[in-house]
Amino acid sequence: MNLTLVQTVNMNIRKNPFTTLGMTVVDESPVTLALQQSKMEVSNFTVYYNKFRALADISVMMPANKITAIIGPSGCGKSTLLRSLNRMNDLVPKFHIEGKINLDGQNIYAPGVDVVDVRRRVGMVFQRPNPFPMSIFDNVAYGPRLYGIYNRNVLSEIVERSLKQAALWDEVIDKLNQSGMALSGGQQQRLCIARALAVEPEVILMDEPASALDPISTLKIEELMQSLKEIITIVIVTHNMQQAARVSDFTAFMMINEQRAGTIVEFGPTTQIFINPAHKQTEDYVTGRFG
Amino acid sequence: MIDTMSTVPVANQSKITQYIQPHKGYILRKSLNVSMLVLTGLMSLIALVLLFWIIGYVILRGSQSINLAFLTQTPRPMGMEGGGVLHAIEGTIILSLLASLFAIPPGILAAFYAAYHPNTLLGISVRLGTDVLAGVPSVVIGIFGYALVVQRAGHYSALAGGIVLAIIMLPTIIRTTEEMIKLVPNLLREGSLALGSPEWRTAIKVTLPAALNGIITGFMLGIARAAGETAPLLFTALGNDRFEIGRLLRLGLKSNQPLLTVLNNIIQQPVDSLPLTLYKYTQQPFPERVNQSWGVALVLIVLVLVTNLVTRLWVQYRSAKIQGL
Repeated sequence: MNLTLVQTVNMNIRKNPFTTLGMTVVDESPVTLALQQSKMEVSNFTVYYNKFRALADISVMMPANKITAIIGPSGCGKSTLLRSLNRMNDLVPKFHIEGKINLDGQNIYAPGVDVVDVRRRVGMVFQRPNPFPMSIFDNVAYGPRLYGIYNRNVLSEIVERSLKQAALWDEVIDKLNQSGMALSGGQQQRLCIARALAVEPEVILMDEPASALDPISTLKIEELMQSLKEIITIVIVTHNMQQAARVSDFTAFMMINEQRAGTIVEFGPTTQIFINPAHKQTEDYVTGRFG
Repeated sequence: MIDTMSTVPVANQSKITQYIQPHKGYILRKSLNVSMLVLTGLMSLIALVLLFWIIGYVILRGSQSINLAFLTQTPRPMGMEGGGVLHAIEGTIILSLLASLFAIPPGILAAFYAAYHPNTLLGISVRLGTDVLAGVPSVVIGIFGYALVVQRAGHYSALAGGIVLAIIMLPTIIRTTEEMIKLVPNLLREGSLALGSPEWRTAIKVTLPAALNGIITGFMLGIARAAGETAPLLFTALGNDRFEIGRLLRLGLKSNQPLLTVLNNIIQQPVDSLPLTLYKYTQQPFPERVNQSWGVALVLIVLVLVTNLVTRLWVQYRSAKIQGL
């Protein structure tokens, strides 16, 4: 694998996304504009679990109000990268990093940064729906209450707004006091999205949010993502390449290198990754020849 | 059957079927199976018969001495008919409440530590310590309570009994709570932490409610064990024929003492408990006392059974509500 080339591509991609890829530069293209407005920016990011290097020198960015998909074979570090974006990996013993991840230009791993604040601004939706053992209302109000909002009227407004944003309001309007665990799998996942939205995050990370759901529920989640990107930036990890192709604006393809550490092979607009990938490995993967 | 199988050409058989001879030892296997089934069934039946025999006999003998006076009056002097065991019922309740108060909060906290830090020195010690403590004879813990509380205070008391019973309950509570916390899916915890919740808040608001049903079952086991203890109470609560919460409350409030002082007076009294009364009554030379001891046994069984049943129903109702049924 030509690591240096990948790094060069990633480093230059912000200034001039296509020169390094040998394409015509159109500075006013939507892609260029999007790449100039990065919400999150990962630079030379390396992750160690104890002495094992899980991610090696990752550089990638998440354009604001776009959906960025992270694809790659199992065990390539997609989830590790995603969970580093809101510092969920801090929970893993003997986890440490090199490099930095910027959120709006500020390094979230800088000393003195409040993890709680990072996690409020960067929300997360998990692979399996995980509603708390409490009512639908309390599930959504959990986050706001965390930040000191106890006024019932204010909470009601937030719950209604969040459930509407998550396209769940109409289905639960008359059972807000019922347990969140009584909902169907797809509804539970949208409840978890509403719960994440309630604290008004700027970014939402989704770790294979539809892999435990049926096709109809999956479709609803995907439609939801499209409407949500008006207000937030979404990063999604997925095994399903059709899903990545359908929903995302940008795609990062990851693989493990010779030292078994995850690296970014290629990052770019989704159409380019799927139709005209620059690397042989990307092409092999997206056409289903391996992985 | 065996012959026809062996006439099949070997070439047509897979490797394994050459070695498997159908129906070889079939009779032996079948009879072994049936005899083991009979044996296990018989033993289960014996255990069940013993259980119902005990309960049935206690009900039979005990119900003769149970009446309203038995449940609402304190004992009459020896050799007199009538009187009741109100003192012991109240004493058992007070002792159980005190023991729960002393054992449950620290038990839960220790369980959280052991569940979240299983591989630290302290976590390992907690597990080892509770296992050892669970095996210590309760009479030893009684002596410990005598030396630590009774001797220092200069008198026997419900407080000393409650402390000793709490020590006896503690291992059960810590271990069951720890196991239940470990059963809560990590995904729930992460869901809360991902919203920016600190660990302590996640533990109180998400982990504890999710594990509560199992934890409460653990409490009930602990309380049932403590309520049935006799030996450690001989050294600590001693026994008190004249103990009557109603009288103590009235006396205290009449003399305008603050409620806390009154409550403190109550728990500073020596008290009786049902097992303790049972033990003492059976040693009396008076036949009505011996008869009453059966009644005490019945009250004890019913008390434990009712508490268990109520808790179980409540737990079932609660989990049904969470599951949205």
